[in-house]
Amino acid sequence: MTLNSKSLAVILFVVLFGGIALSAALGWWQTESSKVAATYTEGEFAGQANPADIRGSYTFGDVEKNFGIPAALLAQAFNIQTDDPDAFATKELETIYAESTLEVGTASVRLFVAFYNGLPFDLSTEIYLPQSAADILHTRTLTPEQLAYLDAHIVPDPAAPAVDSAPITESTPEAEATERLVKGKTTFQEVLDWGVPQSVIEQILGAPMPNPLTTVKDFCTAQGLSFETVKAQLQAEVDKVK
Amino acid sequence: MKFFGKRLFRPHSIWIRKLVQWFFFLLIAFIAVNHTLVESGAGIPFLSSASLHALCPFGGVVTIYQFATVGTFVQKIHESSFVLMIIGFALAFLFGPVFCGWVCPLGTVQEWMAKLGKKLFKRRYNHFVPARLDQVLRYARYLVLAWVVYVTATSGTLIFADYDPYYALFNFWTSEVAVGGLIILGATLVLSLFVERPWCKYACPYGAVLGLTNLFRIFKIKRAASTCKADGACSILCPMNIPVDTQNAVRDHQCISCLECTSEAVCPVAKTVIFTAGAVK
Repeated sequence: MTLNSKSLAVILFVVLFGGIALSAALGWWQTESSKVAATYTEGEFAGQANPADIRGSYTFGDVEKNFGIPAALLAQAFNIQTDDPDAFATKELETIYAESTLEVGTASVRLFVAFYNGLPFDLSTEIYLPQSAADILHTRTLTPEQLAYLDAHIVPDPAAPAVDSAPITESTPEAEATERLVKGKTTFQEVLDWGVPQSVIEQILGAPMPNPLTTVKDFCTAQGLSFETVKAQLQAEVDKVK
Repeated sequence: MKFFGKRLFRPHSIWIRKLVQWFFFLLIAFIAVNHTLVESGAGIPFLSSASLHALCPFGGVVTIYQFATVGTFVQKIHESSFVLMIIGFALAFLFGPVFCGWVCPLGTVQEWMAKLGKKLFKRRYNHFVPARLDQVLRYARYLVLAWVVYVTATSGTLIFADYDPYYALFNFWTSEVAVGGLIILGATLVLSLFVERPWCKYACPYGAVLGLTNLFRIFKIKRAASTCKADGACSILCPMNIPVDTQNAVRDHQCISCLECTSEAVCPVAKTVIFTAGAVK
């Protein structure tokens, strides 16, 4: 069997785009991470979306889809002036609140969502919310413990940061390399590369370290550990060896 | 092929391949621009805004180790890269590295630069590198492949993205591209004025993977010795400098299945250099 160039071109298109179409029909064609939060695996809230799984790449629109809190309300809570709150990526909060001495970021959104929806959340780490978010949460039903935590973890609102449109949602590789921040997508290998010994990591985990290519967040989710707690402890170790 | 009476492509060339190359170059370029537009709140309707990582079959190759050991993909790599990798391999098993010769936009850009190089240097073009040195350098891309697979497997991150000229080509306007990628892209374009497809020949790790299929692909470039005039036209025009006129079947690991050596293009004798799965006389 002999092929000429025209036949080869046709076959190329059919195989390439046919393969893509077939994979899409089978649900395999994914060009971005699925923005579906993991669910609680046990207890009263089993099966419900867990705010602890909100990632920096989630937009307010993704949070709305997962937790039913309007993106506009989230923008109001975090004092974000934008025409398109759906497209605002939670990781951008760190940049917007960079002037604040206390960090407001993705963890703050997790906390806000948990309190707003009355969902269980690990309060053993220090997570801060802007005054505007606290004002909204004060209108919700909170337990005394949650109220006390909230009132002790408020930072002043910044001067109404304006976001004309959705900001760039990916930080530069150079910035990520120098920041050395433990985030949702940080792998154990990166923590090792930053100088934290495996023994210290295992001490924090209270278990043997998995394959180094596993992300800290995936491991915590699988093991039922609080990512916020592990993250804070690992970050402290990373900061020590800087 | 003519347009308003003017010839669009060089005579005796595979014009449809040029059209296919243009198509994929424009498709990837528009998607890359759309990715930037979507991040800034705009975007072109009905056009994918996927990241280049998601549309790169080599991303599937470098994530195989992590997928096999951890069950996850390397950061920024998604299922689509895996799908494209499988499609790329299927095409390569049948036809050799057609992805390199027909689809890859970086290969296309190098060919565009080659046109300028051919005008500047005429017959000397693509013959600057001493043959013995060239033979050794051709294996450098396997070293690049080994390095990329190793650093990706041990770090779980796409370190190669910082050096990848393909990524730099379609992201030079963003802050995501690293200086290393821009330098290598610039060097590739400049070298393309002297050597045809320098990145493909000496450094491309994906080309290294696909090139191996030349050893056992189903459809091969074959030469009918009985009708061959041995004028060397096929070898002279081969962008990868493969001595087609001395082989009965091209199994060279560098062949990109561009078909420019065949009787459909440069070979003056009909049915003498053909792309076939059968035997030739």
